[in-house]
Amino acid sequence: MDLNFTDEQRLLADSTTRFLEQTRDFHARRAQLAEGVTLSSAVWGHLAGQGLLALPRSEAAGGPGGSIVDLVAIAMRFGASLLTEPYLATVVLAGAALEAAGGDEARTLLTRIATGEAVVGFAHEEAVSGAPVGQIETTAIGKDGGYVLSGLKPFVLAGGDAEELVVSARHDDGIALFLVDTATAGIMIEKFVTVDGRGAGRVRFDDVHVPQAALLARDATSLIDDVVADALLYLAAESVGAMDALFRMTSSYAATRQQFGVPIGSFQTIAHRLADMKIALTKAHASLIYVTALREAGQAGPADLSVLKAQTGRLGRTLAEAAVQTHGGVGMTDELAVGHLLKRILANDSLFGDAELHLRLLGSKTGVTA
Amino acid sequence: MNLDRNPALEEFRAEVADFLDTAPTDAIREAGRKTTSVFAPFEQVMEWHRILARKGWAAPSWPVEYGGTGWSVEQRYVYAEEYWKRDLPPLLPNGLQMVGPLLMHLGTDEQKARYLPGILAGEDYWTQGYSEPGAGSDLASLTCSAVADGEDYIINGSKIWTTYAHHANRMFMLVRTSTEGKKQAGITFLLLDRVDLPGLEIRPIIGLDGVPEQCEVFFRDVRVPQSGRVGAENDGWSVAKQLLIHERGGSVASPALRRRVEAIRDAAAHERTAFGGVLADDPVFQRDLGLLEAEIGSIEHFEKLAISGHPIAQDFAFPSMAKVMNTEVTQTLSVLMTRVAGLKGYAIQTAALEVGSSVAPLDDDFSLVAMPYYLNSRATTIYAGTNEIQRDLIARSIAH
Repeated sequence: MDLNFTDEQRLLADSTTRFLEQTRDFHARRAQLAEGVTLSSAVWGHLAGQGLLALPRSEAAGGPGGSIVDLVAIAMRFGASLLTEPYLATVVLAGAALEAAGGDEARTLLTRIATGEAVVGFAHEEAVSGAPVGQIETTAIGKDGGYVLSGLKPFVLAGGDAEELVVSARHDDGIALFLVDTATAGIMIEKFVTVDGRGAGRVRFDDVHVPQAALLARDATSLIDDVVADALLYLAAESVGAMDALFRMTSSYAATRQQFGVPIGSFQTIAHRLADMKIALTKAHASLIYVTALREAGQAGPADLSVLKAQTGRLGRTLAEAAVQTHGGVGMTDELAVGHLLKRILANDSLFGDAELHLRLLGSKTGVTA
Repeated sequence: MNLDRNPALEEFRAEVADFLDTAPTDAIREAGRKTTSVFAPFEQVMEWHRILARKGWAAPSWPVEYGGTGWSVEQRYVYAEEYWKRDLPPLLPNGLQMVGPLLMHLGTDEQKARYLPGILAGEDYWTQGYSEPGAGSDLASLTCSAVADGEDYIINGSKIWTTYAHHANRMFMLVRTSTEGKKQAGITFLLLDRVDLPGLEIRPIIGLDGVPEQCEVFFRDVRVPQSGRVGAENDGWSVAKQLLIHERGGSVASPALRRRVEAIRDAAAHERTAFGGVLADDPVFQRDLGLLEAEIGSIEHFEKLAISGHPIAQDFAFPSMAKVMNTEVTQTLSVLMTRVAGLKGYAIQTAALEVGSSVAPLDDDFSLVAMPYYLNSRATTIYAGTNEIQRDLIARSIAH
């Protein structure tokens, strides 16, 4: 049993961090967000240049066939660096769905994703985060040799920037996936920025006519579950990366910040809080590594994924709130990364079912023991 | 990363399962079901220890030269999994995990030859004499004194929280041999060959769970040979610290915790609630059980990373973090046990809890053990260095 990242994975992650620190440090990120920019062409172009926008793609789909471990290794750094670009939406979600669906159109689009040319969103979840695929309410009805889509996807990452969307909709008795150009008549997108600095959109489909070729996959439930499973690992990795960054910042702040003439870390209350932060980080990190190894081996079941999602969500929140508290007043300002990392962890928790949902899945009869 | 399943490991699992299915007597199994503490019912657990020793499996973590099994860490984890699936009583830790490994590291050849075989075979039980009424977390302030007299020491004072001292035939202890300099510098580590000595008196203490597990031991001019000393005189503090490493780390907790969760899940499937339906379908219960599953999941992942030699577990704070995680989840689990047992847990059933008792439990085994287990597990965050002390140690490990 070897649960370490390889040297190559470490090098890739280190160079990603270095680039992000050099190209867009925390202050540059803040300035960018102040102008409403969530997609920097410099950053996105670099990710494309490094081959990262095709990293998880198989060779047949034009990628290097990167594993889930590769993805987790860089996602930890994306989390720590508070990446705003739509890597999750375009590469991890839409890209994986396109690859799984196959077909000429999908392959062409994957090539344009790899070069950084195309941003694609994954318009799947609706009002209830973490709901089973079967609860999707958006419909696709066959008409004139094509389909008519109707429904609301209220929280689509990259929804405001995407030229195309992979859309899940109820069709016949199953849930199907469609590839839809965002310029199609009847699509209304309200663009917004998430609290953690990602671009997103509220997407309404009002009798949207699409051609037959838009159908990517019929009966796509297991395809979607599989795509979401990788996304859960990606989100957990980002959150653990963010937790690690918060833990480092907070322990060094506690060692340098002086009150009553001594570093605040010398007070037992603070020391014990730091100890709890270290325990929380260790648990979340251990689950991330082990469940990643399980996923790579094809052995990660729903319960393993729920343990990981629940632990990174609740331990992440606990750790991040402790980081804000320990920093005191400055922890409350937009000028420090602490609060931004908190918001990233909370946003990651809320996607694809939050900690409370996954805890209940684990505790219910259907949530099998790991 | 590589999780490859090892076929030889599955063969090993089958061999372990076969032995654990057949070797324990009914009384040993009953003792396992009625274990409500780290310390299983004494008579049966020692009998089980002797059976395992004859098989050569009493001390999986010991080096082979001292009678260990030579199993890999993966094999030890498999063994723990199979062991706990069967609700078998855990062997008492004092000899196997504490004084045994300590003697291997710091004992004289004569001490090793004299004591290790009896520890391995399950012939001896060693009680631990560390804490005193005035020295708990601040252990170094202990005052129980040993004064040299010829070839002997004369001991005066008292020790407390000496687990199962009333069953013990031997004892290891810390005594004060000097009051000069730093308080840590005047402590000596002693092995007592026997406890039925003139001037030595053992008083069992009834715990919250109604049974005597802990004791207090009084010494009035108790004469013991100096040959029982481990390490140099006044160097006992460093000897004790070495032992704490063995006490706090190295064991695998998640299989036992998982087994307890399964028992909770089973019991909840037929407990009704005031809202109608059964507890297993109650959202609040599901959430709380899920939290346990998640926490135990992370502990299992952490232990498996440790087994694989991952850097996350090669931290100076590893034993302290493991202790905090395991004990705090144990307490959460014990609370849920009492919630599931409900009112049935509130009857005192000390007699029914005895192994071989003629008194039947009022209800099932689950509600028989829930309350004693809960009460006893309040000790987990107090013993072996309180969790406050562990957090001090963890905080000290954090680099700035």
